[in-house]
Amino acid sequence: MLRGVASDLPMTACLECDLLLPMPSVAEGERAACPRCKHLLISHPKDGFSRIQAFAISALVFLAFSFAFPFMTMKASGLENAMTLGQSVLELYENGQQALAFLVSCFIMLVPAVILVAVLAVSVPLARERGAPWLVPAARLVFTLSPWSMVEVFVIGVIVSLVKLMAMADIILGISFWSYAAFSVCLTASLSSFDKSWIWESIDRVSAR
Amino acid sequence: MSAFPTETAAAQGLATCHTCAKVAPASLHHCPRCGASIHLRMTDSLARTLALVLTACILYVPANVLPIMTTTQLGTDEPSTILGGVVYLWHHGSYPVAAVIFIASVMVPLGKMVAIFYLCWTVGREHRTRAQQRTVMYRVTEFVGRWSMVDVFVVAILVALIQLGGLLSIHPGAAALAFSGVVIITMLSAESFDPRLIWDLERDEDE
Repeated sequence: MLRGVASDLPMTACLECDLLLPMPSVAEGERAACPRCKHLLISHPKDGFSRIQAFAISALVFLAFSFAFPFMTMKASGLENAMTLGQSVLELYENGQQALAFLVSCFIMLVPAVILVAVLAVSVPLARERGAPWLVPAARLVFTLSPWSMVEVFVIGVIVSLVKLMAMADIILGISFWSYAAFSVCLTASLSSFDKSWIWESIDRVSAR
Repeated sequence: MSAFPTETAAAQGLATCHTCAKVAPASLHHCPRCGASIHLRMTDSLARTLALVLTACILYVPANVLPIMTTTQLGTDEPSTILGGVVYLWHHGSYPVAAVIFIASVMVPLGKMVAIFYLCWTVGREHRTRAQQRTVMYRVTEFVGRWSMVDVFVVAILVALIQLGGLLSIHPGAAALAFSGVVIITMLSAESFDPRLIWDLERDEDE
């Protein structure tokens, strides 16, 4: 079966164990895994592009909202202090930790925002079966940056801080926090449909025209 | 004569693009679809992985010895390290938070570094552990990487939230940056490890 290399059959190789296979043809709603190491080869999600776009747009809206309101408020012995999402980075900067402020702002805001814009730049033309000159660089950007988005880790960080402080102060989670949590869910939902092999196959298809 | 097992793409001189998963002849050097550079196996995978994981081990020392944050209460400064914070929480009965921080900040980074050393060591020595198990180990190592940042984010939140002037305030410590360095460098290290090396040697043993 592996002699297909010489034929016209499109081939693929598992990215984790390098097993050479004919490209599995998956219908909408199906996925295929490597028979040897079980690595996911391709997944064609149901209503993929609509899902990707809907969640990506929602995620961007939720992210924008989460800048506008208090993120967390603490009350202790008659004193009150509210923080915004931006302050979590600004205070680090003002405390002399510029490098850390830069890293944190990348991981929790900049990288996910760039990913979402690139996801839209790829999925909007593809959903209409159209090509665009930026398809390839935008798709590359998404797959290169995606390990560096740490939105859900930050949400867990908020919950840990909340429990840590509960004993000494009253902590109120603000609108921004809930908006940010929704942003985290939408980002994950959008990216989980953005399958590497399927997206690149779709780009091939529209570019061939 | 190819050194690669016969059923692999590499044995046919084909390389898979890491950015777009396209299979193309390695002699092209660049992926015909997305333009990323392609190789049969990642260049100097083991050397790069080991160099990065050693760097992370070195950075892990200041990350644990220096204070991650300083609490200023009524004029007195009280610095605390990562482990100090875990012990403090445990003594005050916050067992779940103490466990989360201990797992994310101590066990995950240490476990990751041990796992990466182990994977490199077994690739170099044709160890007889099953390839499937080691592949799972690699996947777990890659997946948990980002979660160690929890403690750094907690510091960022506390610094912004606990600002009651002279009464009570929290300032970030040098360990926060060192620890982010550990997380980032171990992530890069896991990324530069080529899991296909695990399977290359597995085949050679069978033959």
